[in-house]
Amino acid sequence: MVAGAIEWGLLLEVIWVSLLAGIGVTLFYSLVILGGARAAEARRAGRGPAAILYGALAILAGLAFLAGLVFGVGIILNK
Amino acid sequence: MDNDIVLVIVVMTALAFDFTNGFHDTANAVATSISTRALSPRVAVTIAAILNFVGAFLSLEVAATVAKGIVEADLVTPTIVFAGLVGAIFWNLLTWYFGLPSSSSHALIGGVVGSAIAAEGFRSVKGEGIVEKVLVPALVAPLLAFAVAGLAILVAYRIIGRQAPGTVNRGFRLGQILSGSLFSLAHGTNDAQKTMGIIFLALVANGSLGPEDDIPTWVVVSAATAIAAGTYVGGWRIIKTMGTKIIKMDPAQGFAAQGAGAAVILSASHAGFPLSTTHTISGAIMGAGAAKRLSAVRWGVAGNIVAAWVLTLPAAAAVGALTYGISSLFGDGSAGPLVVSIALVAALVFVFARRLAAGRTLTAEA
Repeated sequence: MVAGAIEWGLLLEVIWVSLLAGIGVTLFYSLVILGGARAAEARRAGRGPAAILYGALAILAGLAFLAGLVFGVGIILNK
Repeated sequence: MDNDIVLVIVVMTALAFDFTNGFHDTANAVATSISTRALSPRVAVTIAAILNFVGAFLSLEVAATVAKGIVEADLVTPTIVFAGLVGAIFWNLLTWYFGLPSSSSHALIGGVVGSAIAAEGFRSVKGEGIVEKVLVPALVAPLLAFAVAGLAILVAYRIIGRQAPGTVNRGFRLGQILSGSLFSLAHGTNDAQKTMGIIFLALVANGSLGPEDDIPTWVVVSAATAIAAGTYVGGWRIIKTMGTKIIKMDPAQGFAAQGAGAAVILSASHAGFPLSTTHTISGAIMGAGAAKRLSAVRWGVAGNIVAAWVLTLPAAAAVGALTYGISSLFGDGSAGPLVVSIALVAALVFVFARRLAAGRTLTAEA
């Protein structure tokens, strides 16, 4: 009865999507912090190109993080 | 007239359950933000209350009620629903008293299952529904969130490991405000709908509405208000347990737990496999702690929480059955629910009046 009541395909989908989304959210947000901190350091040290690169990393990771948030709100709205 | 009285009692009890659902689950969204000082306690519960209120208006898919597929719908009467709600409220209050996070949805399912069994016997319960909607999610939610949060915090530490703690902590605190807000919004859409569904069913059963009618605005507004008010009052005992007693968390762990929790809840919701927010965030907090160091988790506290989860269904069911039994002593009319309601309100007023008289706030531990 127990095995029959479980939708294994659905369960597997929940597991891999959760892993991807959960780790992705933290990964991108951590990159925002890293990029922001390193860009500030590079600016202070007068390393212009490095500051630009780290700044770009922070912005791109921030956009990916925000996209995740917007997708989350979309799920809430379309339930 | 009798039916109208029962309807009013069911509506009031459903809103009371919604209120307890709000303050019981405040911790899910705010505990990590408060413990890492991302937000002050009052600001955190205010934001959570507003987003729970807003969330209740965002989606009105109440056709699938919480007990659907678990009890035989044809056999459910307003008195069974009333007794089930009492069972759920009892369990919410008891677990709040002991500061234990537990699922309000599972308490409601347990209460309705118990009262349905008392009324109609075991033929009224669908075993597969309990496995599918209660037992499997209760296992999946904490374990999955534990794993996701554990891996997420390892990734975070790997990336930000050499950065100055001040910058890192400020960054993750800011992120926690966003992830906590997402959690509150999701909670409002999920949990306020349970109450709306119950009130709607009671109105249909009473003949006040047809099954195809829209949900009346007053139902939406009252359910949203009850859950927001409960959230604002804040179940501080549970907030303390989740925020400081399971692990002592840093902002990165708080963010990883909330981010992983939100990801698991929303991924599951997207796939049509709803999970308990309480089970998910509790598992995520434990995972974020254990990944740093196994001994960082107070496993005794975690064990108490898991014990509460195991007991939720049978305990709420027992109280639901008992409530139905007492109600039915007074016949099939409104007398039973009325007597039980008056007795319960009197008991609650007595208990909380004593707390206030002793100089304590309604829900705070101090």
